[in-house]
Amino acid sequence: MSAHTHTEGQLPHEPEKATLEGRNKVLGFWLFLGGETVLFGTLFAAFLALRDSVMDGPTPDHLFDLGLVAIATAILLTSSLTSVFAIQAMHRHETKALINWLIITVLLGLGFLGLEIYEFYHYVLEGHGFTTSAFSSSFYTLVGFHGAHVLFGILWITLLIIQLKRKGLTVVTAPKVYVAGMYWHFIDVVWVFIFTVVYLMGKVV
Amino acid sequence: MAANGSSPEQSGRRHKVEGPKKHIVAFVFSILLTFIAFATVIGGEINKDFIYIILLGTAVLQVFVQMAFWMHMKDRGHRFAIIGILSGVFIVFTCVIMAEYWVWW
Repeated sequence: MSAHTHTEGQLPHEPEKATLEGRNKVLGFWLFLGGETVLFGTLFAAFLALRDSVMDGPTPDHLFDLGLVAIATAILLTSSLTSVFAIQAMHRHETKALINWLIITVLLGLGFLGLEIYEFYHYVLEGHGFTTSAFSSSFYTLVGFHGAHVLFGILWITLLIIQLKRKGLTVVTAPKVYVAGMYWHFIDVVWVFIFTVVYLMGKVV
Repeated sequence: MAANGSSPEQSGRRHKVEGPKKHIVAFVFSILLTFIAFATVIGGEINKDFIYIILLGTAVLQVFVQMAFWMHMKDRGHRFAIIGILSGVFIVFTCVIMAEYWVWW
């Protein structure tokens, strides 16, 4: 892809695209994200269809605390920014800065997950269990699936940090980091729709 | 994919590393959009449909910022990426419209 000149033995400018394998990984990951879009789309569709079916359970307007959601959103947006900084550090070949930014991203992800667990725990105490109503089932499925993706991302990036520490930044490890960064942004994109469709629209009575 | 943004005379030189400024601007922009969305709902004495339009508008704009700048979609060589995601989005719209307008008829 890049016709630039490179010094022998030196890591290329964009190491994630330096090999055919790396470029194929990025392309394949985009197609995977297309599939993920469909997965979340169906969950969103189910939620939209069922969100007014609350039966005897609490209504969304009653349940949601926008303050908590705002904090969670801020955390996740910031983690998206820190993962961009990680990729930029990678392009500058600064492995140490790259690892540090990834660690910050993971910590922010953990903070988000902690808030979500607290939120779910709180809802269950208020009588909003998984089987309470069609609204609660679709809510937990949609938001829980997103939370599971965050958890998976945290584990994934943690493993990448360990690998980076052991093997350093090479044309093999670079595509992995790049693809993990894309995954993290995608999670953020899904959250944008969750806070809009689930929380904010739930508050509009 | 020979046209890769840098002019021929630049290609021999060291690569220009892009700074964080663009991304900080994108970050501030997405925080601002989030704030508008939350404020519309909390301030909410306005028409319900109008709130929905604002919410969806800010969400779509924000996704655009994320994908273009942070997922590098605006960069060269992302045609297949755009096709992949767009085909996903097409199915999503079908699902959502089906669920919203047909299920309860």
